[in-house]
Amino acid sequence: MDFFYSYIALAEIYVLLGLSTNLLVGIVGIFSVSQAAIFGVGAYVVAYLLMNTAVPFLPALLAAAALCVALNILVTLPSLRVSGDYFVVTSFGIQLLATAIFTNWTAGTGGAAGLPGVPAPLIFGQELIEPGAFLGLATAGMALGCLGFWLIMRAPFGRLLRAIREDELAVAALGKSVLRAKVSAAALAGAFAGTAGGLYATFLSFIDPSSFDLDASILLLAMVVVGGARTLAGSIIGPFVLLALPQALALIDLPTSVAAAARQLIYGVLLIVFMLFRPQGLLGEKL
Amino acid sequence: MLWLHLLVNGLVSGCALGMVAVSFSLIFATTKIFHVAHAGVYSMGGYLTWSALRHGAPEPLALLIGIVACGLLGALIQKLLYERLARSGATHLVVLIASLGASAVLQNIIAGVYTSNVLRFALPWADRTVPIGGVLLSMTQIVTVGIGLATYAGVMWFAHRTGLGKRMRAVASNPFLAEITRLNPRDVHVVVVALGSAIVCLPGALVPLDLGLQPFGGVPMLLTATIAMIAGGVGSISGAFVLAVAIAVLQNLSLLVMPGEWSIGVTFFVFVIFMLFRPRGLFAT
Amino acid sequence: MARNRRFWLAGALAGACVALGAAAQAQPIRLGAVLPLTGPAAVVGSQEQRGIQFALLHANAKGGIAGRQIEMLFEDNQAKPDQSVLSFNKLVDLQGVPAVITGFSGPTLAMAPLATRKKVLLVNGGAQADPLAKASPYLVNTIPVLAGELEVLANYVLHDAGKKTAAILFENDAAGISGRDDFAASYTAAGGKIVAQEPIAFGDTNYRPVLLKLAAAQPDMLFVILTAGVSPLADQIRQIDAKFTVVGNTFFSDPEVVANPNAEGWIHSQVLINAPDSLAAEFKKTYGTEFDFFPKQYYNATNIVLACVERLLKEGKPLTGENLRAALFAIKTFDGLTRVVFNNNTADTQVNINRMQAKTDAIIKVIPPKQ
Repeated sequence: MDFFYSYIALAEIYVLLGLSTNLLVGIVGIFSVSQAAIFGVGAYVVAYLLMNTAVPFLPALLAAAALCVALNILVTLPSLRVSGDYFVVTSFGIQLLATAIFTNWTAGTGGAAGLPGVPAPLIFGQELIEPGAFLGLATAGMALGCLGFWLIMRAPFGRLLRAIREDELAVAALGKSVLRAKVSAAALAGAFAGTAGGLYATFLSFIDPSSFDLDASILLLAMVVVGGARTLAGSIIGPFVLLALPQALALIDLPTSVAAAARQLIYGVLLIVFMLFRPQGLLGEKL
Repeated sequence: MLWLHLLVNGLVSGCALGMVAVSFSLIFATTKIFHVAHAGVYSMGGYLTWSALRHGAPEPLALLIGIVACGLLGALIQKLLYERLARSGATHLVVLIASLGASAVLQNIIAGVYTSNVLRFALPWADRTVPIGGVLLSMTQIVTVGIGLATYAGVMWFAHRTGLGKRMRAVASNPFLAEITRLNPRDVHVVVVALGSAIVCLPGALVPLDLGLQPFGGVPMLLTATIAMIAGGVGSISGAFVLAVAIAVLQNLSLLVMPGEWSIGVTFFVFVIFMLFRPRGLFAT
Repeated sequence: MARNRRFWLAGALAGACVALGAAAQAQPIRLGAVLPLTGPAAVVGSQEQRGIQFALLHANAKGGIAGRQIEMLFEDNQAKPDQSVLSFNKLVDLQGVPAVITGFSGPTLAMAPLATRKKVLLVNGGAQADPLAKASPYLVNTIPVLAGELEVLANYVLHDAGKKTAAILFENDAAGISGRDDFAASYTAAGGKIVAQEPIAFGDTNYRPVLLKLAAAQPDMLFVILTAGVSPLADQIRQIDAKFTVVGNTFFSDPEVVANPNAEGWIHSQVLINAPDSLAAEFKKTYGTEFDFFPKQYYNATNIVLACVERLLKEGKPLTGENLRAALFAIKTFDGLTRVVFNNNTADTQVNINRMQAKTDAIIKVIPPKQ
């Protein structure tokens, strides 16, 4: 059963991360391709605190979330000044900068060689080392995230965020603070991503920059878009589908010389077909 | 003398990067599509040229075959993918994801056909070196500079002196106006993407002639070129080319003061700060 | 889904077959492999996969082990830690494999704690980063980690070849960083001096800027540790007219590098692995690619695992990770494509010092394994 537990636990962590991306990209319309970088900061902070200090798991997770809140506000600030494609490229830049730091700041992150031996979370004296035990924690984290997302979408604040995406000028003309709304959304997205990062590091016990690079950010976008942007259900189903995809594609029997390329090719074709024929994703609203 | 070597090396790499930036700038300024699959077209250009050479075509013919094939490939992507997406009213996000998908498809066709191993052109003349002003340059590097400058001049001439170029700039600056004046933006888009794709075959073949062919090599190159285009100001061909050369020179010279692993990080850091203060680029039109 | 049900059934039967001995004769022996089969790392991953398949081809053609065919279940981890953990759990939980063959430092380090907890033999046939030596009692490396190989190399270049100062060009990943640290440690301990070092990203073949900087330090030699793109490096080193001697490790043993005239005079350490010409020809005929270093290593690693399986079946013991591990240390010395000795979790093998001359890779010194 450990396989299913670990699959579900990982998918739940990605759901939390997907919520963060959906909030920024889908709801507010801040097109960030650097959420994997924030995710990474959360993972490295928790790993560092657990391995080098006496800070217990939950405070470490809180510290990571708090730092990611601050950092996510900082990296989404350029969206106030630059818009559309310009912000996308800035965001690409932030992602590559983060990868450079994860890879080269060896003292803090273990560098390209990675950080093995991150301790499992210790909660109320229980060490959550087996996937089954960890699953409870991941489920709680995801449930809290989903609840928060759902509540916000129903609240006036959620309507304000959607309105900003539709017409920022009109919102400003009505006397609402666009700045405050964007900053709050970024803060919330940061908290989700940071928490997801902390859970990821303690679940895998090994982290390296490959989990937090540009490809990871793009995978995250694909999860949100394939699942369906702007909806809670879409954010949940996307990660479950895309995390299983490499495992599912491995089932297709192909001659080894072309198998690798053919599987990635199928992934690319799937993305194109989705965008052409079902751009709203499996369970989303029209983008 | 290290600084001189690095400076010259930066200028050479900058010419190759400049061609990518100019080609991407043509496409982006006109269509407003963040055409990530351009990286796939870039790689495809190198591999097709390599194949033509292997089948006995002389170098200029092989390059020409690559250029024409890339142009067709670009037109195909525009017609079959971007035009359909535009018709269904797709947002930027949807177009970007589709383009990422197309990029993955192109790269993996290459990986499937040619394997992911580094392939070399191994042309004897390309490996020869010539001392110029105390710096050794390979023939590949000299050819790259020559073709790079010629490409820049050619694109400038095309955009400002030809009828098609003027139409292209008209569509870029105001698609709605272009529509009612019957400039037919859709056809212009196809032509521009084809042209940009044909141009990107040049660095696509010249860079691997120097460094070897790899299916996944195009993306970092394209991102750096995009930064050059945006920092130079979208729509400015000179801006894209000059900034590409400047970035390549800075990345090389940065080795004088810091270890190489930080040069990419520093480039992007400078860019992010730059965007905060000059979000429209240096030479914005 | 029928396929999955078959695996469940196989898992249930696996327990029963121990007791029922004869009844289970026809059941294939299932082993697992977790390798990057997609993405940029698949260049190496698919070579490793072919090595494993080649070994199975031979074993099954001989009628398998004790009349049972061997089946290898491949999982794709894209060289990423999270997919590695999923793949490992899938193989062990759903398909009940007692041993998993893998490679690449990061993924192997991510799976090592799981191997310890679940008592599954994890066999690394290709990655050489130092942390692998002590990651888990259940992780065995059928190839020496870099520290041993590079100690031999450092002593040779300093004492036999008389190169007193060195610069280092390393790939910025686990293997490259380990290699840099190990070489620098052995070389300085033996009295040499490291005058400069620069990293290069995996897959980046634009070496010129860092080469210019390293050459400006005027070292006697350049130590290079790169897993890919060595042939373009040879071209660029010649084009800048560098004066240093180029020195590397086993990663240099790429036929394309040996055939490149610009690599003339390069020196490198070589973990010995030899294949008879007939075997190499058969491989090339079957898969259309050369029988290179990685396919050879994984062919060898697979045969080591199969030898342990055979011993257990002969002794009538159940096929578990724990028993496989015990069998491996009981056998201790394996004579396959090379002699591999397990004094601990990491293999000792013969290391040679080679020099590339006239498009061949000539052996100039031999260092046998510790018995």
